[in-house]
Amino acid sequence: MALNSRIRTLLMALPMWIILLAFFILPMVRLIFRTGEDGLDLYITALTKPQYLYSIGYTVLLSVVVTAVTLVLSGIVGVFLTRNSFRGKNILTSMLTFPLAFPGVVVGFMVILWAGRQGVLGQITKALSGDKVVFAYSMGGLFLGYLYFSIPRVITSVMAAAEKIDVELEEAARSLGASTWRVVWDVIVPALTPAFISSGAICFATSMGAFGTAFTLATNIDVIPITIYTEFTLSANIGMAACLSVILGIITWATLFVARLITDEDNIGAAG
Amino acid sequence: MKKNKYLFSAQLILTFLCCAFLIVPVIQSVLIGLSANAFRGISSGLTLRWVIEVWTLYSDSIFRSLFIGFVTLFVCLLAGVPAAYFMVRSKSRWIKVLEEVLVLPLAIPGLAIALGILITYGGYTDFRRSWMFILCGHVIFCLPFMVRSVASVMAMIDLTELEEGAASLGASFSRRFLQVVVPNVMPGIVSGALMVFTLSIGEFNLTWMLHTPLTKTLPVGLADSYASMRLEIGSAYTIYFFALIIPLLVAMQWVGSRSIGHVSQQADQDDVLEVQPMTATISSQKKSGVTISLTSCGKTFPDGTVALAPQSFTIEAGQTVVLLGPSGCGKTTTLRIIAGLESPDEGGRVCFGDKDVTRVPIEKRNVGMVFQNYALFPNMSVYRNIEYGLHIRGDEKEKRAKRVKEMLSMMQIEHLADRKINQLSGGQRQRVALARAIAVRPSVLLLDEPLSALDAKLRDSLREEIDTLLKRLNITTVYVTHDQSEAMSLGDVVVVMKDGDVMQMGSPQDIYFNPQQKFVADFIGTVNMVPCRILDGSFVFPNGYAVPCEMVAGINGAYSQTTANIFFRPENTVVQAAEGMFKGEILSSVFLGDKNRLKVKLNDMAPCVLDIPGDQTFVAGETIYFDVPAQALGVLPEAS
Repeated sequence: MALNSRIRTLLMALPMWIILLAFFILPMVRLIFRTGEDGLDLYITALTKPQYLYSIGYTVLLSVVVTAVTLVLSGIVGVFLTRNSFRGKNILTSMLTFPLAFPGVVVGFMVILWAGRQGVLGQITKALSGDKVVFAYSMGGLFLGYLYFSIPRVITSVMAAAEKIDVELEEAARSLGASTWRVVWDVIVPALTPAFISSGAICFATSMGAFGTAFTLATNIDVIPITIYTEFTLSANIGMAACLSVILGIITWATLFVARLITDEDNIGAAG
Repeated sequence: MKKNKYLFSAQLILTFLCCAFLIVPVIQSVLIGLSANAFRGISSGLTLRWVIEVWTLYSDSIFRSLFIGFVTLFVCLLAGVPAAYFMVRSKSRWIKVLEEVLVLPLAIPGLAIALGILITYGGYTDFRRSWMFILCGHVIFCLPFMVRSVASVMAMIDLTELEEGAASLGASFSRRFLQVVVPNVMPGIVSGALMVFTLSIGEFNLTWMLHTPLTKTLPVGLADSYASMRLEIGSAYTIYFFALIIPLLVAMQWVGSRSIGHVSQQADQDDVLEVQPMTATISSQKKSGVTISLTSCGKTFPDGTVALAPQSFTIEAGQTVVLLGPSGCGKTTTLRIIAGLESPDEGGRVCFGDKDVTRVPIEKRNVGMVFQNYALFPNMSVYRNIEYGLHIRGDEKEKRAKRVKEMLSMMQIEHLADRKINQLSGGQRQRVALARAIAVRPSVLLLDEPLSALDAKLRDSLREEIDTLLKRLNITTVYVTHDQSEAMSLGDVVVVMKDGDVMQMGSPQDIYFNPQQKFVADFIGTVNMVPCRILDGSFVFPNGYAVPCEMVAGINGAYSQTTANIFFRPENTVVQAAEGMFKGEILSSVFLGDKNRLKVKLNDMAPCVLDIPGDQTFVAGETIYFDVPAQALGVLPEAS
């Protein structure tokens, strides 16, 4: 009976295995093999040629900055929303998490509406100073866009983690004479650290791989996904596109893997 | 908690700013999409012109997205739910690998996955040109979310016990999966499904690489409309996207806010008021017990730990046997072997009557089982729970209804028939679990610590009721407990177990008055143990007091050893005013209402425990004299 039930349990996973094998594992293996046809030449080119190197550098830098800013903003807002109750809080929370399901293209469009040629910022600044501020199509636009899709994700996980903090811990710290700042520093921040690490890693990985936003903004800064896309479609340089994809995949996977090791949590994955 | 006003305002302002950052462009796009002129904004008047134009231009992409979304969802449900079950249930080392593989599609950017799919399958032109090409990407991207969502809910509920519960009622594997597993992980399936659908609708990275001009989806259309540089068209199309996504998000929040596996723990005191004692007036309960015999049934787990040394014993038809012992003693393993939830090691045999059932799975053994946490199906009402086993046995509706009614009235829970399980208190659940197990007229009734989840008072009253019930039913019953008073009051035969072995088996009286080992004497009640020398046919206590051997209970014939362990129980001591068998100093005195429990230090002996009537008061430090009547002394056969 024991053997029987084990086989039955194994069979349950069969459809998933077939799908994963056919449409994920095999393509990934093919992709890696494609990059290895000329030995390590492609990788050497990708990591030495300024065009690609800058692309990787820009993307990493942008993702790091976006992650840091998102963590600070979402940390404050997330804890604030969990710890206080006031009228309209639920609406605020819903609005903050609403863009969670936006694809990258829509996020890009949102940035255009903020800081594009007919954007809100442009109209405001024109009315105030006569100069129209437009930065949607530069690094600033990318930053805004990445911030836009990162904030809802991080706020959600910070709020989930903050809800689990035992209020008694905080009260205990207070009873021992800790000031507000000390409580934040000694109780709340340590309790939220795992959430910060995991959501920060997700935020970083998502930013690294974000394609839609940059695509819509059509900036002159080529982040890696855009470089991959242009290599593939315009230059028909499939090998280089595959090679950059592998590099990008390794960076994002490694980030998430390390974050999972540190936090011992298995709910980490990028999306979008 | 006192609030810091400035801090509060600063945080509130920051929150508002974040909100504005996210929401202003959403409103902006809706306004532009509805305005006649994108540059002049709403002042140019409202119009549906752009919305209609978008419909004529892009409606096919919207329908395609919805279609792909539904098919993706369908595939994810079909592959993901069983896979989640596999991940939760399988104990293989490979699960870690699988988990890692499942994280990969989330960790690797969609662009890279799309490139891989293109390189591998791009050559099959017909496939490449069809919507199925996009579907592949979406399934890979969404499947992990489905598996995780379902697996996390599965991990939260006690799936194993529920499944075993269903199996004990005769349900086959597919029945268990469809009728018990799936309904109970519904919250996970629903939220996973919503997530998969939402993700599929909004997926762009993969889709952009995989689409062809003939297979555009909603986000691809959005990108096209944005690239057209016509703000009003882009905005109007975005309105469609919002209209699609908002109901999904609202539904997701609604599902998320309903807490999963929420159990309302009603106060058990309600039980006493709400539920009448069971009246075991059973109309037509046949004497349906069978003899159970175990022949050298042992259990060694794969990691080498011996949970049970090979045991052989027989349980007579209609008897109630209680397996008693501390946790880890093998009593539950024994029960599970009898139930058919574990198979004994090679060479072991389980027989019900003359029938060898060793290889028969639980669902075919016709047992009734009450689980520690009851394993009542939360997705069914009380009535449906009790009916479940009859349903599986294929009884007709009228017959089932009659039997369920009989059970409900026997347990005095008619008024609870339509309740959900999580609306019941502990004692009520207990009754439902009993009713469900008995309803199928099992040949063997198995109870695994059925009272341990209840509080002390309720435990006592339910124990009495179960006792009455078992006596009336006359089913062969195996009852597992670690509570010696439960064992004493319920068992015809008590089997005391320790470390995977049977220490002693006998009637409660036998176990109590004639323990064969120190462990048994100790485990059943409190006992004082005194090592004595044997001189000239008398037991000589360390203080020199001698009792002739033949006066001590449990001695037959001459006693050949030179030392023996004499024991007596606290309640058998008689306090003397001055001079007695023993003299000691009181270390502590605890008032327990009906009695005082004294701990007394004796010369040359380990401290003793004495029970004296509650109205006699002693304080620590006092000297006390007491006797133990010779007939209250017992001797352990083996010197341990």
